[in-house]
Amino acid sequence: MSRLLAPRRRRMPSRIGPGEAVAAVRGAGVVLGGAQILHDVSLDVRTSEVLALVGPNGAGKSTLLSVLTGDIRPEKGTAELCGRATHEWSAAESAMRRAVLLQQVNLSFPFTVVEVVAMGRAPWAGTERENDDEAAIAEAMAVADVGAFAERRFNTLSGGERARVALARVLAQRTQLVLLDEPTAALDLHHQEMVLAVARQRAAAGDAVVVVLHDLNLAAGYADRVAVLSRGALASVGSASEVLTSELLSDVYTHDVEVLKHPRGAAPIILPRR
Amino acid sequence: MSTEISTTAQHADQGTGDAAQTGSSRARRDRKTDIEARAGGSTAPVRARRARATLLIGGLAAALVLVTVVSAGRGQLEISPGEVTGSVMHRLDSGLEWLLTRVGITVDLPLDIGSLPSHAQGENTLWLVRFPRVVLAILVGAALATAGALMQGIFGNPLAEPALIGVSPGAAVGASLVFVTGASFLGEWTAPAAAFTTGLFATLLVYALSRSGGRTEVVTLMLTGVAVTAVAFALVAFNTFVANPEAREQIVFWQLGSLNGARWPAVNAVLPFVCVGLVVAVVLARSLDLLSLGDKAARHLGVNVERLRIVAIVVVAMLVGSGVAFAGVIGFVGLVVPHLMRMVAGPGHRVLLPASALGGAVLLVGADLVARTAIQYADLPLGMLTALVGGPFFFWLLRRTRSRAGGWA
Repeated sequence: MSRLLAPRRRRMPSRIGPGEAVAAVRGAGVVLGGAQILHDVSLDVRTSEVLALVGPNGAGKSTLLSVLTGDIRPEKGTAELCGRATHEWSAAESAMRRAVLLQQVNLSFPFTVVEVVAMGRAPWAGTERENDDEAAIAEAMAVADVGAFAERRFNTLSGGERARVALARVLAQRTQLVLLDEPTAALDLHHQEMVLAVARQRAAAGDAVVVVLHDLNLAAGYADRVAVLSRGALASVGSASEVLTSELLSDVYTHDVEVLKHPRGAAPIILPRR
Repeated sequence: MSTEISTTAQHADQGTGDAAQTGSSRARRDRKTDIEARAGGSTAPVRARRARATLLIGGLAAALVLVTVVSAGRGQLEISPGEVTGSVMHRLDSGLEWLLTRVGITVDLPLDIGSLPSHAQGENTLWLVRFPRVVLAILVGAALATAGALMQGIFGNPLAEPALIGVSPGAAVGASLVFVTGASFLGEWTAPAAAFTTGLFATLLVYALSRSGGRTEVVTLMLTGVAVTAVAFALVAFNTFVANPEAREQIVFWQLGSLNGARWPAVNAVLPFVCVGLVVAVVLARSLDLLSLGDKAARHLGVNVERLRIVAIVVVAMLVGSGVAFAGVIGFVGLVVPHLMRMVAGPGHRVLLPASALGGAVLLVGADLVARTAIQYADLPLGMLTALVGGPFFFWLLRRTRSRAGGWA
């Protein structure tokens, strides 16, 4: 009991320079319920960069994200966060280093939107960064465009609105690594673009953003690097133009995929052949 | 901030032709929501909510004082509220003066206001019979309601109740065993001590059985609670079956719950557990808020979910165990009071927990007042009363929350 209640000293995070690895997995293998979900995956997550994880259903995108968050400890290989094995950090220390947006956003009690966003500041309670709370909350709410319903109860919002509130909570956490699991799934076109613009902006400010996406055009338009997962393994990693090719995508998705050049020179357009 | 977004948005939209326009309109909107969030969106309602919380806590504290004074005065020997207050103030005055003399200060404090009870037995009735009973009601009510709020918090379910993790059924096993065997190794403390021990043991058993791979699933925990409760009830049934008529009566009445015969030693025994429980509960408040996002998201925000859960469960067992040890099984306080407080103060545990403690105390002092004055020369079972009122009230709550959009209030 005394061990359980004793406060432990938390190691504060220090900023990692641009382009350096903030998190990494090396040779990671994960077996869940007897099935090999991830097989020998090695990937660096670098600061100042948006990294998109794409691939068909069941390819292991969310599992790879769980390895990065520390929710799953790989049976084989290692996962690192800020230069240490992910599991060596306490929950509180991890929360100062990475923020996670889950696919499923639930709330068991009817907190208001402001209260939910303010929960993102919990890791900094009792540290000097607690002073930034108000500014961080206001900024995150503005960026995620949820100011208009700040005082509504979370459980009265629509799916898309909830997703944006959850995003605001993650942004308010102000960590250098941000992991987003399908943040655009419930959103309209404008807000999809907004979320990825926010991701770009965080990368420009020196943070690292990992985002799981189904829309390959979003990945092509916004990601610095794209990692394509297929059957639990990494099929390819690199810039959008290197990775998102007709051959690779057709093979991975087992569906004919066309990759077209944009007429005005923007990111390539990816279309399934119909 | 907003200009940065618009530039990155422009950068990303490069070549689509209308990028500049999209960028500037977005920037304008962002600036507007930013202002809203700063001015209207956050400060004023936050202040309003804080005022409401202060009002609620203050109102409940005042209600507690009022119901305590009234309850202490009512009974076969009527003592007016003025005389009750006067008696308390006189004791407070002489007590403080005695304390100050001990540290070398001799003063005559002007606290001995009001008149003492006019009846010859007034002082004795108040200080030997009524006050210990009222104070025990306060402690048990606060303990049960706080335990309920904690349970609902860690299970993320507004229907959770301390009984779910086997505290009171477990306690009933210990108490009934003492009544049956006539064990008295701790004198009159034997039954409360046994009830507390078996209640805590049942809870830890539920927790240990439902743990696997270092984690506890809420549903598994609840179902394990059901299983352990069933076995506990079977043991109580067996004890009731083998007991002689006198012991059988004791078992039955213990399960009905009552504060009859409460004395200061009982208050002293319960007080430390309840105080420690309440303090730890308030310390856990912020983590409990985060837990409403779900185990995973709470962990991502730095909550050690397993540790939080075991500390909270031990605290619940301690609060409920010490409460039922002397008072027997008193239901529905842990379920209804937190609900009611959440409707007024919102779901934030930093207000909900202290408000529930106060609300539970008010409710139980009031219920006990009814229990011993509703029918002359009869002490109604307290657990029966709380369930009788709590059941229909809970049903009304359910209907009400279902009919409003968004579910649980």
